[in-house]
Amino acid sequence: MSRVKATVDFIHAWQHADEIADEVEAELRFHVQMRTQANIAEGMTPDAAQLAAKQSFGDFDRIKTSCCEIKRSLPFNMKPIKMGLYIAIACLAGGFALVAINLPHDNLLGVLWQLAAIAVLMCAFFVGRRKQ
Amino acid sequence: MAKSKAGLLQGTLDMLILKALFPGPLHGYGVGQRIAQISGDELKIEEGSLYPGLYRLEQRGWVQAEWDISDNNQKAKFYKLTRAGRKQLIIEEQNWERLAKATMKALRAT
Repeated sequence: MSRVKATVDFIHAWQHADEIADEVEAELRFHVQMRTQANIAEGMTPDAAQLAAKQSFGDFDRIKTSCCEIKRSLPFNMKPIKMGLYIAIACLAGGFALVAINLPHDNLLGVLWQLAAIAVLMCAFFVGRRKQ
Repeated sequence: MAKSKAGLLQGTLDMLILKALFPGPLHGYGVGQRIAQISGDELKIEEGSLYPGLYRLEQRGWVQAEWDISDNNQKAKFYKLTRAGRKQLIIEEQNWERLAKATMKALRAT
């Protein structure tokens, strides 16, 4: 059930990217604020407390970006899906090439099949390169 | 002599977050406080790094988050362990114990 919710959250995160970013920012700001209050309670001046809170928190923007990216990433392993897609495109390219070879090359249909085979082969090549 | 704080091994942060949430729901700041408390202030964690960890755990379905009002009457996002998260914590603890035992055995070998 939690996986289903994670998938729903993933779709929601893509549809409402700005809303998610605001939500993440509010959460991180709350943390810095809490740390600032704790520092003041320990005897720091408000300015020093805020500076120390920001330093102990780390790179705010990088952390915010990282959280938003996690929200927008799929909650399951994409590697098998990508591998399947690559194999499917490669098979399709092979099929097109086979048809193109067996068609007469002196008419428009044969030329079109050849072009289609080249296009799909190039697709497979670029998908393969992106995988690397 | 000043105590040197130990840095976290990769992968242990998620386990510590799960452990911190075991007694009950907490917001991110509270998770950091709880980890410091249960480790006797020995573990040095960059506070912000907790959040990507919390988001990862939420995505895996091990924690659940919802907005609520904190003790100081502010809106805060609270995290709680799910049933899957409790199971995962047990697995992580067992793995960790096994790893620690094996490492100690290796270190004591002559």
